[in-house]
Amino acid sequence: MKTPFRTVAVVGALAAASIAITGCTTTETGGEPAVEEISIAFVMGAESDPFFQAMKVGAEEEAAAQGVELIWQGDPANYSAETQIPIVDAVLAQQPDALVLIPTDPVALQASVDKAVAAGIVVANVDTRVDDLSNVLTFITGDNTDGGAKAADALAAKIGYEEGGSYEVVVGLTSPTATTNVGRLDGFTAQIEAEYPGIAIVDVAYSESNPEKAATNVNNWLTKYPGLDGIFAIDGTNASGAAAALEAKGLVGTVGLVGYDAYPDNVAKIESGIFTALIAQDPAEEARLAIRTIVEFIRTGATSTPAEVVIPNVTLDANTSAADLAKYTYVAN
Amino acid sequence: MTDSSQAISVTPSPAAEARKARAFDALTSQSSLLLGVLVILIIVFTILEPKFFSVATASNILTDWGSIVLIAVGQAFVIISGGIDLSVGAVIGLSGVVAAWTMANVLGLDQTVKGQDAWGGLLVGAAVSVGVGLLVGLINAFLINVLKIVPFIATLSTMGAALGLSVVISQGAPIGSANDFALISSFSPQWNPLSPALVVVIVVVTVLGLYLHKARVGLYTYAIGSNAFAARAAGINVARHLTWVYALSGALAGLAGIYVYIRLGAGSPSSGTGRELDAIAAVVIGGVSLMGGIGRLPGVVIGALILFTVQSGLIMIGVEPDWKKVVVAVLIAAAVAAQVLRKSDGRS
Amino acid sequence: MTNTVIYEAHDVSKSYGSVKALTGASLRLHAGEVVGLVGDNGAGKSTLVKVLSGAHQPTSGRLELDGVEHVWGSPREALEAGIETLYQDSSLAPHLTVSQNLFLGREVMSPGILGKLGFLARRRMEKEAHDDLERVGIAVPASSRPVSALSGGQRQAVAIGRAVSWARKVIILDEPTNHLGARQAGEVLNVIRAAKAKGLGVIFISHTLPHVLEVTDRIVVLRLGRIVRDAPTSEFTPDSLIAAITGSADSEPTTDA
Repeated sequence: MKTPFRTVAVVGALAAASIAITGCTTTETGGEPAVEEISIAFVMGAESDPFFQAMKVGAEEEAAAQGVELIWQGDPANYSAETQIPIVDAVLAQQPDALVLIPTDPVALQASVDKAVAAGIVVANVDTRVDDLSNVLTFITGDNTDGGAKAADALAAKIGYEEGGSYEVVVGLTSPTATTNVGRLDGFTAQIEAEYPGIAIVDVAYSESNPEKAATNVNNWLTKYPGLDGIFAIDGTNASGAAAALEAKGLVGTVGLVGYDAYPDNVAKIESGIFTALIAQDPAEEARLAIRTIVEFIRTGATSTPAEVVIPNVTLDANTSAADLAKYTYVAN
Repeated sequence: MTDSSQAISVTPSPAAEARKARAFDALTSQSSLLLGVLVILIIVFTILEPKFFSVATASNILTDWGSIVLIAVGQAFVIISGGIDLSVGAVIGLSGVVAAWTMANVLGLDQTVKGQDAWGGLLVGAAVSVGVGLLVGLINAFLINVLKIVPFIATLSTMGAALGLSVVISQGAPIGSANDFALISSFSPQWNPLSPALVVVIVVVTVLGLYLHKARVGLYTYAIGSNAFAARAAGINVARHLTWVYALSGALAGLAGIYVYIRLGAGSPSSGTGRELDAIAAVVIGGVSLMGGIGRLPGVVIGALILFTVQSGLIMIGVEPDWKKVVVAVLIAAAVAAQVLRKSDGRS
Repeated sequence: MTNTVIYEAHDVSKSYGSVKALTGASLRLHAGEVVGLVGDNGAGKSTLVKVLSGAHQPTSGRLELDGVEHVWGSPREALEAGIETLYQDSSLAPHLTVSQNLFLGREVMSPGILGKLGFLARRRMEKEAHDDLERVGIAVPASSRPVSALSGGQRQAVAIGRAVSWARKVIILDEPTNHLGARQAGEVLNVIRAAKAKGLGVIFISHTLPHVLEVTDRIVVLRLGRIVRDAPTSEFTPDSLIAAITGSADSEPTTDA
């Protein structure tokens, strides 16, 4: 009979596929066991995002330095509550001492946080937060609104903004609902209205996380607005697509481009003048601080870290030192 | 006609004949119908935004069309043969990432290598990219032919595997390497919307169109999709032919992978996100039946063109992009309805 | 009909697992002879057809075509040896044209380099399809028309025409008059006569006993996986044929034609 072989093979193929998809790892760190072993579960948003890859580097560094065990988990590609909640449940079943959570939804993940706290697990939020922070030890985040304002400054400088002039810029977004998009766009818009009234945001469009669609959006804008002065690409995907579109049309330098997120490939394009500036977050530092805070709290019963910490975004441009460029680039292991 | 006659006549009555002639005309005029839709769309968008009617817009639309028409043509072969290939979008990402990784880490080329200096590297990248696509296509064929997994599930699992693998290799970030953006830019922006990469795409699509409609491989593709039992009874090696079809679809996705690489100057794991749905939409709008056996490549080519005309048009007139999905949904519904009407008309 | 035995089954049995579908069936088909194969559902007709057409291999027994023993690995092998099989309803691809169906699996390639590249001689096949069908008594106005645009009877005519025009030795017709009106069925029977006149051995499987009585030279009755009767058609009346099929009357011992 063929059937048993077939079943085995199907299961095998699916298993292989799921292994390939799943990038989760459990890292045992700390050569010699600490007096009492502390285990910290870290559940992030989506493995495929370099932002979280950089965060992982910071988390692993700090866990090794503190001599604690790090359980790193998260969905391979989907940034969504549906996939994250079961992962959090599975992690809590391992009874870690602490949970660092990047909630993919402020409401949907509240129950998971409450459950962890009820089980005596110390919880911290990084990057995004749940609605009720009263049981959360600390919430550490980058300042997306401030990052949007910094982007406005960088773009205004590039297009040589002068009082009384009129300028056209566009914003490439990923989706209307992504919270980071919203924060950055708010900050960008507010800063332009306050400081650069001559700049008009003439259009926005969505790339749906696909860099080729981001390039398409820019191509069409360049046709519609022949005098376009600048582009704010709100995340790494939009930055990649916009940079490629400008290169292909030979408009590098003619149209200002400020991107977001320090993807290695994009950081290299600051030097070649394709990006006027990149606004970078510091996910590694967010992770380091979260772990340091938790370890301090568990070992001493208190922490000096405030309940909410905002780590400013930084502007990377042609004047940024090579050391800083290297520091802020989202590098994976 | 009486029983004493030796000849069986299949000459129908004049009324039936006329009805059939009409049905036959409708079958052959799918492309002209779609061209009509395209012209109407262009007119509407031009009225709403005069800048839409320009060589630059044509170039934008064709540049988008280039990658999708490749996977749509592969998808057309697969769907006409009675199957489906959901892995093509993920393969664009995977093949682009593997090509970029090879160029960056094996050939040691970084993104500062530009222009004609990049051609050698791109040629290697193209071979790697098509090879990766071919491999995924062969895996699909293996799952379908040998393990007898239905195409939807088989290609869904390779889609997941390809996506996961591309994330693992790239660690989520685009991998930049050598590139010549001139390959994707218009020859002459003044009057010619074509680019060298598009010329390659058009040649490939034309050759495959000839093979689908004029050659034995095409005939077998239709025969299997129309009635696999009859195809087998006629002595066609169905499994071998399907292997060929899925390998073609994979290889075309690989070719689209290097096309997108050239467009972006980087291999990105998310560069094919959702593209399998664009391809299926183009195929269905183009008049291919998801049941297999029906459809012609010119329709698919124009279907893909309509898709990106709508996309460009909506961006140009500044409409919320979500409307694109609504418009595409309407087009798909209209195409399927037209198919059903044609079918009921063609049967007496 | 000649006395040349063209296709012969010796003591053929077929089991599917523990189920014996066919037991010790022996059958002899002459060139230019039409043999009717009748029996209730589950009597073993389709099993015998599958064995004869090469779709299934017999568990025991042997097959001889033109006096040479053959073991069919696939229907393709039987096809190439000259045995055409027409399965009920499903032997045409509805979306292909009449000529594409007629030539499916045996396409004529373009002359020269184009043919080597895999391109087909479409016009030539359309012309030949038309001629071939006419030769076996079927007039099709446009062989470039898709089969789905034809009526059920027309499709069946094309399917049989296809089988008859390609068959070199034996043609097996499984329920060719199913779902056909009286006039169309009569036309199909005429094509069977044309095949007989062409010198082919014809095996005609049908539930429609009047058709069997009308067109066959000999009738083989199957019951419970065995051949229970094999006699010239002239020896049957409608009533005796039904009795043989249902087993309501004691059947006579198997006779050889």
